[in-house]
Amino acid sequence: MATSAVLDEVVDAVLSFDSKRVTEATRKALAQGIDPVKIIEEGLAKGLRIIGKKFEDGELFIMHLIAAAQPVQKVTAELLQPEISKSKVSRKVLGKVVIGTVAGDIHDIGKNIVAAMLLAMGFEVYDLGKDVAAEVFIKRASEVSADIIASSALLSTTLPVQHEIVETLVKRGIRDSFKVMVGGAPVTEDWANEIGADGYGVDSVDAVRVAKRLLRVAEQGELDDE
Amino acid sequence: MTNRAIRGGVLRLITDEEIERIHTSSLEILEQVGIQVKSSRITRVFRDGGAEIDADAERVRIPEYLVREALSKTPSRIMLCGRSPRYDVCLEKNRIYFGMGGTPTPFIRDVETGEFRRPTKKDFADATRLGDALPNMSFLMAISGVFDVPYQTEYLHEYEVMFSNTEKPIIYPAPGSVAAKGVLEMATAISGGMDELRRRPILSLYVETVSPLVMFGPDETFIDGAEAGIPITLGPGPIMGAAAPGTIAGTVLVANCENLAAMTLTQLVKKGAPIIYTCGCSTMDPRTCRVLYGAPELTMGGAVIGAQLARYYGLPCFGWAGVTDSKVPDAQAGAEVMMTSLLNALAGINLMHDCGYLASGSVGSMEMAVICDDIAGMVSRIVRGVDINDETLAVDLIRSIGPGGNFLGEKHTLEFIGREIFLPKILDRTDHITWERRGRKDIGQIARERVKQILKEHNPQPLPKDVQEKLSLIVKKCEKELVAAEK
Repeated sequence: MATSAVLDEVVDAVLSFDSKRVTEATRKALAQGIDPVKIIEEGLAKGLRIIGKKFEDGELFIMHLIAAAQPVQKVTAELLQPEISKSKVSRKVLGKVVIGTVAGDIHDIGKNIVAAMLLAMGFEVYDLGKDVAAEVFIKRASEVSADIIASSALLSTTLPVQHEIVETLVKRGIRDSFKVMVGGAPVTEDWANEIGADGYGVDSVDAVRVAKRLLRVAEQGELDDE
Repeated sequence: MTNRAIRGGVLRLITDEEIERIHTSSLEILEQVGIQVKSSRITRVFRDGGAEIDADAERVRIPEYLVREALSKTPSRIMLCGRSPRYDVCLEKNRIYFGMGGTPTPFIRDVETGEFRRPTKKDFADATRLGDALPNMSFLMAISGVFDVPYQTEYLHEYEVMFSNTEKPIIYPAPGSVAAKGVLEMATAISGGMDELRRRPILSLYVETVSPLVMFGPDETFIDGAEAGIPITLGPGPIMGAAAPGTIAGTVLVANCENLAAMTLTQLVKKGAPIIYTCGCSTMDPRTCRVLYGAPELTMGGAVIGAQLARYYGLPCFGWAGVTDSKVPDAQAGAEVMMTSLLNALAGINLMHDCGYLASGSVGSMEMAVICDDIAGMVSRIVRGVDINDETLAVDLIRSIGPGGNFLGEKHTLEFIGREIFLPKILDRTDHITWERRGRKDIGQIARERVKQILKEHNPQPLPKDVQEKLSLIVKKCEKELVAAEK
């Protein structure tokens, strides 16, 4: 079977929202000796990008996006990442994002949606969950050499934690190592400016746009490789 | 003296048997799945009460008998009082009351400029004063927030403003123990003692669980409220397809489980603690992930089925009116506000909150509150219904006037017409020529003028000076505690 046909099968599997099919297609591609980075970029990630585009166009729902992203995340971690680590080839991602709901808050639906969207659009996402202290964001971001630290707050009483993230980065002299993004119902552009964050996304689509802008990723031509 | 409002409807969407299925499914989930509790204080109450605790998983499983026992202790009727007794409301059966606002909004629509901006303490005071003046608003929550104070202390400042600027009953959140205790201290200062506050509660604490099936630190307010004997309004927030299954049935089920868990918790703290049931069935647009307020599904599941469940449990209930996803007081706002208000009223929801919300609850608007007040009046008129009797049929009058006559100057007409017809305060009913002569004003503009007029003229009875000072001191004390806890 031609490489392209096998990779198309991976894309189709992603578009089918069927976890089993994604695993099978990925296994098949690996068995054919296709480079795991290629399987991600021209198979899994390509499928996610198609779904992301359809979501942006209002054709598909957030549920589709998440349903597609979950199996991709799984096979990447379980089947592909070990191979990639062995071969020391670096993988092309738009950027690494460490994301979480701030300490004192456990409302994480919005954060989950943004995380899924970022993942679907080609970012590597480290989801720290909910009730995450400023310190934990920074520690994890340093460990994985993240490009972006993204925090979400729903309760206005927990907004100061977003400020604390920026303050702590400044105090340690590593403010320039990361871009800082903030979001959540009570968060505004003004608040982002006030605390010295780099970006604010009003919703998940906007968050992806802002993340790309911050990392100077081209807005156009993401699907040109089709 | 008491504001004994009209009875709403008993609209039903599902059968009694279907209600029973929601109930038994809830018992199954509470017993087998349980709820996650991220507060040792709450876990302790459940443990002492006999629930099954899995400490590692922070899981509390509630056996059926505990739910049943708790249900048998809850009061079926609750008096919620105003600072002035003429505003007392009587929550029983299907009496309906409209209320302004909800939880604090992160934005307010500026009355002068129409801009969305961060609300201040002054905005909150103005909005509360407005709500105090609106004739169809029987209880108050918020259509503003207080953002010009330290974030941690927002709620305390909001309470201070509310207590000072209205004599109507207040329903409001006080997340976390420090806030809850501070608020209860303020209320006690106003009532003149804890016993007096319990006898005439001038507030109900609104407490939200975190869907699906989670309680955390701020939910300790359930305990503080129950200990104090203050009515607690339950606030589950399942979002269909995200924090609950993608069906109305499944979303209502999650909400009902959270209600039963919270209700059980309060009864374990104190037998007979007054609680108000709220179903909740939030809908989000799956294309944008925006949580919606004007969606029909919220009203169907949260309000109509919610009222059916509340009746099944014999609990007073809380729902919605005057909510919209529109950003301005326009046609969409009118349609959505009327839909929620009318259906909640027909369902017999006791407390219908959120009047004056725009943009799915993220923006408060005083103009919208004024418009909602008129819509609430219309809805109340519809729900009040029609009297059919000899006097109203007026056969003898029709006989005496006869064909071709008129009823304009009849005594009978004068006697009835005033109460038979609802007269709106601001809805424009003029002809188009008069409307043009008067400057072609749309509803938003008329509402804006009425807001300004009310704010110029209306001043509720202020609190006694010493009480006012006490409130400020309590806020300062709690502020210190909260800011210190942060560090």
